[in-house]
Amino acid sequence: MLRTKAAARFEELRLLVFVAGLLVLGYVAVVASAAATFNATPVVVPITFLGLALGLHLFLVARGVRGDQLLLPLALGLTAIGLVEVQRLAPERLALQQLTWCALAAAAFVGAMLLPRDLSVLQRYKYTWALLGLLLLISPLLPGIGREINGARIWIGVGGVFQFQPSEAVKILLVVFFAAYLDEHREMLSAPPRRFGPVPVPPVPYLLPILAMWAIAMVVMVFEKDLGATLLFFGIFLAMLYVATGEAFYTLFGAAMLVAGGFVAYQVFGHVQARVDTWLAPFAEETRFGPSFQLVQGLFAFANGGLFGAGLGNGMPERIPVVWSDFVFAAFTEETGFLGGLALLALYLVFVYRGMLIAVRAPTQFLQLLAAGLSFIVAFQTLVIVAGNAKLIPLTGVTLPFVSYGGSSLLTNFLLTALLIRISDVTARVRGGA
Amino acid sequence: MEITFTVLLWAVRIAFLVLLYVFLIRAFSGLWRAMRTEEAVAARPAGIAFLVVQRTHRGGPRSGDRLPLRAVTSLGRDAGNDVVVNDEAASAKHAVVSFADGEWWIEDAGSTNGTVVNGTKIWQRERMHYGDEIQIGRIGLRLEQA
Repeated sequence: MLRTKAAARFEELRLLVFVAGLLVLGYVAVVASAAATFNATPVVVPITFLGLALGLHLFLVARGVRGDQLLLPLALGLTAIGLVEVQRLAPERLALQQLTWCALAAAAFVGAMLLPRDLSVLQRYKYTWALLGLLLLISPLLPGIGREINGARIWIGVGGVFQFQPSEAVKILLVVFFAAYLDEHREMLSAPPRRFGPVPVPPVPYLLPILAMWAIAMVVMVFEKDLGATLLFFGIFLAMLYVATGEAFYTLFGAAMLVAGGFVAYQVFGHVQARVDTWLAPFAEETRFGPSFQLVQGLFAFANGGLFGAGLGNGMPERIPVVWSDFVFAAFTEETGFLGGLALLALYLVFVYRGMLIAVRAPTQFLQLLAAGLSFIVAFQTLVIVAGNAKLIPLTGVTLPFVSYGGSSLLTNFLLTALLIRISDVTARVRGGA
Repeated sequence: MEITFTVLLWAVRIAFLVLLYVFLIRAFSGLWRAMRTEEAVAARPAGIAFLVVQRTHRGGPRSGDRLPLRAVTSLGRDAGNDVVVNDEAASAKHAVVSFADGEWWIEDAGSTNGTVVNGTKIWQRERMHYGDEIQIGRIGLRLEQA
């Protein structure tokens, strides 16, 4: 297959100019605020990042990719905002680490654009991907490589420095598996041979692998104490099931299962109980300076921001513990105000909407489900963490896609972006036009 | 000096917020254009390529008919197929034409009398080019671009 004929991507390039502007202005603002003067030394990070961004753009041009031109600038723009926030919030070594992760994410993006050569490989070896996902999921529980950080055993470490959160990569594998499986059995699931009133009853063997996958994910999550990922996996699972079958009953039933499971977990597990209690009454005398301190400080940050914000580099977000990973949204909103927070959310909206458009246009059902599932990952994750920051739902430790400090998350999100662009590229080729 | 610094710093901060919105608006307009083309595409006749009937027999599809292809199109005598080939020599499920990895492919679906492409019987999934002719029973179909 020939893909080496270069094709211009002007829309992407134009949007990247704004990404560059955002990064430079943001960087100047936070660095100058901290140093109380303008100086030119910390430009290494933005320059390197812009080099990476331009590199990715030129790579797509050189490969002649005719797919979507919005997603890459959006992803890079959000990552640029993330870099600004890391520079603002975290000690300096984290900024350099995040830049290193950006380079690795860019490499992963390039890799996912080249391999596999044919996306149907994802469909054909679906059980392989499911198995791989399962292995990754339980890997933090293994002695030797597993690491427990901040009360959640969701990391694997090689040596002392390098740490990776495998549940991030599992999300993509899970979506690939669901897409392939639901595509294969969609008819049986959406038009089951038997019905009891509104209740569709598909033959049990068809539901078993999906339910097993879900149950294992749940069990492992409970043992790894990663509530955010549990919520994400389940949300993605339900959304894809609904998209594939159009049966509202599955979704309602699943939501009821989630509520029941949540209730049981609340009764049985101390860490779940603590999360819910601090959510219900964060300002309670006994928790205000203890378990709910982070949430309380985050809420003060929102309040301090007001409509226009305190000005980038001018707020006090460093008073929130671990602000660079869990509370980036609160920090960004404090300093750029409601206006900034709204714009950030709108950027996610554009990203997800674009992903859904790609799903609608995709030529096969598998690619449609895959694109929809990948978009759901970004949508749910943003929803869960932003709503958690704003005390709308109990706080769970998931990252704000592209923006939060964190390598595994960044890597995964760039893989996801690459896959979406490839799906839109296939669509453009099938349709032979724009 | 102190005041100039403060003013400049605020100018940078405000410029950041403004630029954030300009970026957002540009992204939105990109999305808007994509949706407009989507509507235009939806208004176009269905099909990304066609099988054009070349040879037929009495009671078969009319010669010159353009049968639209989807990403996966099943051919056969059964009425459940995407393209119904009502020839006695055609099997109920005869062949599948699909689009994958930027190419068109044809595969025999286990038919009794086989599928012939450009005069050669196929034994596995074969790549197709525009202008190739499929023969199923007495019916000849040519792959053409939309």
